Amino acid sequence: MSSEDRKLNYVWRIAATGFVFVLFGVGALVISVTMFPALRLTTWNPDTARRRIQRGMQFVFHAFMETMRVFGILTYRVEGAERLREPGRLIVANHPTLIDVVLLVSQMPEVDCIVKQGLWRNPFLRWPVSWAGYLQNAAGEELVEQCSATLQRGHSLLVFPEGTRSVPGEPLRMQRGAAHIALAANAPILPVRITCDPPTLFKGNPWYRVPSRRFHLNMVVGEPILPRTFMRDGEAPARTARRLTQWMHSQLDPGGIPRPEPTEASESSWLAPGQQPVIR
Amino acid sequence: MSESFNSREEVLERLKVVLSDLFEIKPEKIVPEAHLYDDLDIDSIDAVDLFLTLKEITGRKIQPQAFKDVRTVNDVIDAIQTLTSKPAS
Repeated sequence: MSSEDRKLNYVWRIAATGFVFVLFGVGALVISVTMFPALRLTTWNPDTARRRIQRGMQFVFHAFMETMRVFGILTYRVEGAERLREPGRLIVANHPTLIDVVLLVSQMPEVDCIVKQGLWRNPFLRWPVSWAGYLQNAAGEELVEQCSATLQRGHSLLVFPEGTRSVPGEPLRMQRGAAHIALAANAPILPVRITCDPPTLFKGNPWYRVPSRRFHLNMVVGEPILPRTFMRDGEAPARTARRLTQWMHSQLDPGGIPRPEPTEASESSWLAPGQQPVIR
Repeated sequence: MSESFNSREEVLERLKVVLSDLFEIKPEKIVPEAHLYDDLDIDSIDAVDLFLTLKEITGRKIQPQAFKDVRTVNDVIDAIQTLTSKPAS
């Protein structure tokens, strides 16, 4: 690419990113008053409705991923997606970008999510999230109980154990809630490691600061493990949760998330697709 | 089962045992000034476990609000002392 082309591509990606941000916001409102109520009305049964709405979420998020890909904003690759489709699993992922949840949900026809309280007060979005059976981000104990209950009903649940987006260049700061949920429900844990190269859409990075080139999202789904593996006879659950959290950390941490582009990121960096350390 | 304490030092010694058993915290880190969350990595879920254990040790009915404003090891010692200074009900 000549430097002229590169510049043109950069400007294009800023415009396209701005457009998809607006599309996402407006689209969310529009489908909240059209597609989701329509899906809700297809059945009397709230559980059937929940599944149809979640399927709708997957469709919408997949369309959104494809829009960004076609616009040349990003490329993405998912390894082991079939493991995300097993029911009753606690899916734990690191959280490098704003769109991790979009990529994850786009791969899962059915998954419960934890949604922040603000959305439950939003006049448009509160209905779809409650029809979808999503969980409200409540205080510690209560949320652990609700999450464990949904897993025991056989639903899969998506959790970002960091509780917020990762800080680029720093080790993950895991909270132990996810480990407590897994232990309470004794549900299989499925670790997912996401990398974004070059880093973008991380915490505090405004949308218009697009990376020097189209970014690549890589998602590697690991093998499920039962929390029972981590339990020891007579041990306080708080200690087991600490060990389990360390294990999750080792599975999710991409070896220190890359710092925001120091110089022109090179294709041969350790992050290049295909060079990922694969979780086994 | 209930224990009584004569001094703050005794309470601190007992807390060291409790916290290292429950949460694998090194006893030397457990000093009066230590902040439960920032220094000792005790989160809100751990706090519930700690609360239940202290209830057992003191043998008193503890109201959750007695621990609402607890931030440091010192605050825990204060709360325990306030509790055990009252006659058992």
